[in-house]
Amino acid sequence: MTRPVLEARDLRVAYGGNVALDIPRLAVAPGELVGVVGANGAGKSTLVNALLGWSRGAPSVSGSVRLDGEEIGARPPHARVARGLALVPEGGAVFLRLSVADNLAAANVPRGSGRRGYDEEEVYALFPRLQERLHHAGSALSGGERQMLAIARALRLGPRVLLLDEPSIGLAPRLVSEVLRTVRGLVGPNLSVLLVEQNVRAAIEVVDRLVLLERGRILAEGPAAAMRDDPRILAAYLGEAVA
Amino acid sequence: MRGPLRALLAAVAAAALLLLPGWAGGLHGAFAVIAIMAVAAYGLDIVVSDLGEVSLAHTVFFAAGAYATALLSTRLGAGSWATLAAALTAGALLAAALGLVTLRLREFVFSLVTYAATVVAAAVAHNWPLLGGSDGVSAIPTLDLSVGPLRLAAGNDAQLWPYALVLLLLTLYAVRQFRRSRLGAMAMMVHLNPRLATMSGIDVGRVRLLVFVLSSLFSAAAGWLYAYQRAYVGPDLFETYFLVLMLTAVVLVGRRRLLAPLIGTALIVGQERFLSFGGDVNAIILGGALVTALAILPGGLDGTLRRLFARPAPRPTAEREPLPQP
Amino acid sequence: MNLVQQLINGVVLGHAYALIAIGWTVLLGVARLVNFGHGQIYMLAAFVTWWATASLGLPYPLAILLAMGAGVLVGLVMQAAMLRLTFAQDLVSIMIVTLGFGHLMRGVAGLVFGGNPQVLETPLSLVDFELAGAWVTGQDLLIVAAGILVFVLLHYGLERGSLGRTARMVAEDPKLAQLAGIDVRRVYFAVFAFEGAAVALAAALVAPRTPILTSIGFEEVIVTFVVVVLGGIGSVAGSYVAGLGLGVFTALFGGFVSPAYATTAAFAVLIVVLVLRPGGLSLGGRAGR
Repeated sequence: MTRPVLEARDLRVAYGGNVALDIPRLAVAPGELVGVVGANGAGKSTLVNALLGWSRGAPSVSGSVRLDGEEIGARPPHARVARGLALVPEGGAVFLRLSVADNLAAANVPRGSGRRGYDEEEVYALFPRLQERLHHAGSALSGGERQMLAIARALRLGPRVLLLDEPSIGLAPRLVSEVLRTVRGLVGPNLSVLLVEQNVRAAIEVVDRLVLLERGRILAEGPAAAMRDDPRILAAYLGEAVA
Repeated sequence: MRGPLRALLAAVAAAALLLLPGWAGGLHGAFAVIAIMAVAAYGLDIVVSDLGEVSLAHTVFFAAGAYATALLSTRLGAGSWATLAAALTAGALLAAALGLVTLRLREFVFSLVTYAATVVAAAVAHNWPLLGGSDGVSAIPTLDLSVGPLRLAAGNDAQLWPYALVLLLLTLYAVRQFRRSRLGAMAMMVHLNPRLATMSGIDVGRVRLLVFVLSSLFSAAAGWLYAYQRAYVGPDLFETYFLVLMLTAVVLVGRRRLLAPLIGTALIVGQERFLSFGGDVNAIILGGALVTALAILPGGLDGTLRRLFARPAPRPTAEREPLPQP
Repeated sequence: MNLVQQLINGVVLGHAYALIAIGWTVLLGVARLVNFGHGQIYMLAAFVTWWATASLGLPYPLAILLAMGAGVLVGLVMQAAMLRLTFAQDLVSIMIVTLGFGHLMRGVAGLVFGGNPQVLETPLSLVDFELAGAWVTGQDLLIVAAGILVFVLLHYGLERGSLGRTARMVAEDPKLAQLAGIDVRRVYFAVFAFEGAAVALAAALVAPRTPILTSIGFEEVIVTFVVVVLGGIGSVAGSYVAGLGLGVFTALFGGFVSPAYATTAAFAVLIVVLVLRPGGLSLGGRAGR
C-alpha cells in the first residue's frame, strides 16, 4: 500500500471538558477523494479544522497529523498551509472587503516549496463566473460565488491535500451535485481531497471512500461502493431525511 | 450554617477586625485606607462583575465625593452628615448623567467614553478655580458625625478606623443584598443575555442606569471618608494610580466573590504600606499585577468579560452560565 | 497674536499630533488593537532621546534611532504579554492591560531617569526664523517634514501592494488570513513594534518643545485618541487630516478662548461623536456576519 499523503493518529479535540472528537486513525491516499459524512454535530467540521489546527473557537487538540510523512501536528495553521494543506471553511469564507481579484492574489504558493498552484487562467477556466466578478468586493458575491472563490483561493495555494467543509451548504439541490462533481474533477495524482459533507446521498456518488462519523467517533468506513448498502449509512440517509 | 450562628460569627469577626490594627501595633491609618479604597473598588466591582462592563469613570465618582466633602466643609463649614449627603448626591448625579449618555454603548466603546469622561473631569479639576485648581483643597476639618448628645468624632486615624470599618461592613452587606435582590438578578441577566432579558420584560437601559448610579454611591461614599482621612483633596485623585488601583483590586482575586475586591485592595495597599520599595517600584508592582492578572493568569478578568471570539464557536453549544432565576 | 501666527502654530502642532497618533492608527486599522500605554511609550522615548544626547553625547539622529529601538522593544514586550488577549480580540482587557503597562512604565522611567524635569535640546531647536510674523524653529519644520514623509510612505505602503493587502486581510478576519498562509502572530508583533517605533519617533521630534517629565504622556494619549477616532478608525489619510485639524483647532482655541481647556474642548467633541455614532468606531462590530 502506498504511503498516505495525509494521516492523522489519535486525534482528540475537546472543548472545555467535552470531548468533541476522538479518532484513532484517518488516512488519505494520494489521488484519493475521501468523504466524511455524519449528522449535524457528529464532529465533521471539528475534524477538518483539527487537521489544520484551526478553529473559530478555542478547542484543545492533541494527536499526530502527518503530511507526506512529515509531522505537522504541532505547527500553527499558516505553517500547515505553507506545507500543502489547505482548508475551505464552512460557508465559503472570503474577505468581504477585498475584491475578488485581491482575494485571489492574496493566496500564493510559498516560494521554494516546489509545488504549483492554480494560476489565473486555470481559476477562470474552472469558475468562469469569478472572472466576470473580478472587481466586485467579496461582500457583493452570492453564496455560491463565495464558495467558488474560497475553493479557488485554496487551489491557488497549490495544496497536496484540500480539506473542504460542507461545500454544498446553502446551495440549491441542483447546484450541490454540480459543486461535488467539480470537486471530483480536482482530484489527481498531486491533489487529494478530504470532503466533509452532510448530504450523504450526493457525497456517496463522487467519493472513493466514505467515513461515517457519529458523536466524534468513526462508526464505519470503507469504499464508497461497499458502503452504499451498509445499514449504518442507510440510517444516515434516514437521519438526513429527518433533518 | 444557621442564620443566627452566622450573624454571631460575623459580629465576632467584625469586633476582631476593629481591634486588629491596634494589636498589630497602631496600623490604623493603613487599615483605614484599605477599607476606604476597598469601598471605592466595590462600586467598580458591581459594574464589572454584575453588569459586565468596565467603567473607567469610577475615579470620577470617588473624586466627586471627595471634592464635595472638601469644598462644603472648608468653604461653608458643613458638618460630616451634610457632606455625606452632598458626596452621595454629587456621585449619583454625575453617574446618572454619564449613565444616560452611555446608555446604549457597550463593551469597548463604553470603556472608552468613561475613560474620556475621566480625562475631561481631570482637566476641569486642574483648571477650575472653584475646585481649587491644581492646588486642590487643603485643611479639611476632621470627621464629626455627632448627633445631639451622642459624640461621634474622629480626630486621628485611630479614631477614624471604626468609621471606615463600619462603612466597609455596610458596603459588604449592601453588595451582598444587591446580588440577592431582584435588581441584582436582572443585572446579571442583562449581562449574560441582553436579548433574553429584553424578552423577559426587563428594561435593559433602566437596569443598566440603576446599577451604574447605585455603584457610584459606594465610590462617592469612599471619597467622602477619604477627604477626611487625608485632609486634602486635589486633582491627583484623577491620576492613573487610583484608576489602576481600583481596577487591579477588582480583577486581582476573582470575580463575583464578595470579598475579592477587599482582599485585592488589602494586598495592594498593604504592599505599598508595609513592603514598600519606593514609589517607582510600587508603580511597577501595581502595573505588573494588573497586567499579570489579566494577560497571564488564566481566569483573571478574562473569565468575567469573556469576550473570547465575538463570533460564535464552531459548535453551536456555546457554553453559557446558567441564568440565575429572578 | 494674530490669526496667521496661530494658524502657523496650528499647522506645526497638527503635524506633531498626527505623528504622535500614527502608531495607533495602524494598530487599530490593521490589528484592531488599542494601547493606552501609548503616552508612556512617548514619555519613555523622550527620556531615552534626552539621555542619549545629554549623557551619551550621541548626535541627535542616532539618539532618535536609539529611542525608536527602545520603542520597538517595549512594543514587542507588550504584545508578547497580550498575545492570548489579542487572538481573542478582547479589547476591554487589552485596554486595561495597556493601562497597567502605562503605570508600570512610569515607574520604570522614574527609577531609571529620576523625577527631575529635563529639557531636550536639539541643534535644530536653536535655529529660528520669522514666518509671516510667527517665530518658527528648525525643529518645527522638521516635525512638519517628518510628518508629511511618514504619512505619504504609510499611505502608499498600506493602501497598495501585498503589504497593504496582508494588513487588510488581518484587519478583516485574522482567522481566515491564517488559511491564506499568513502568520498572523508575526503581523501582530510587527504592528506593535511599529506602534512603539512610531510613537518613539514622534517623541524624539516633538518632545524638545516641552519639558520632559515622567508624568507626561497623558495628554499625548488623549490627542491620539481624538485624532484616531475623528480621522476614521484605521484610516491613514483620515488621521493626517484629523491631526492637522486638531492642531489648528487647539492653536485657535488656545489663542483666542482658553489655552487650559483646548484639549478638553477637543475631547468633549470626541465624546459627542462617540455617543452619537458608536458604530462609527466599527469595533466589536465584527461579530455580525
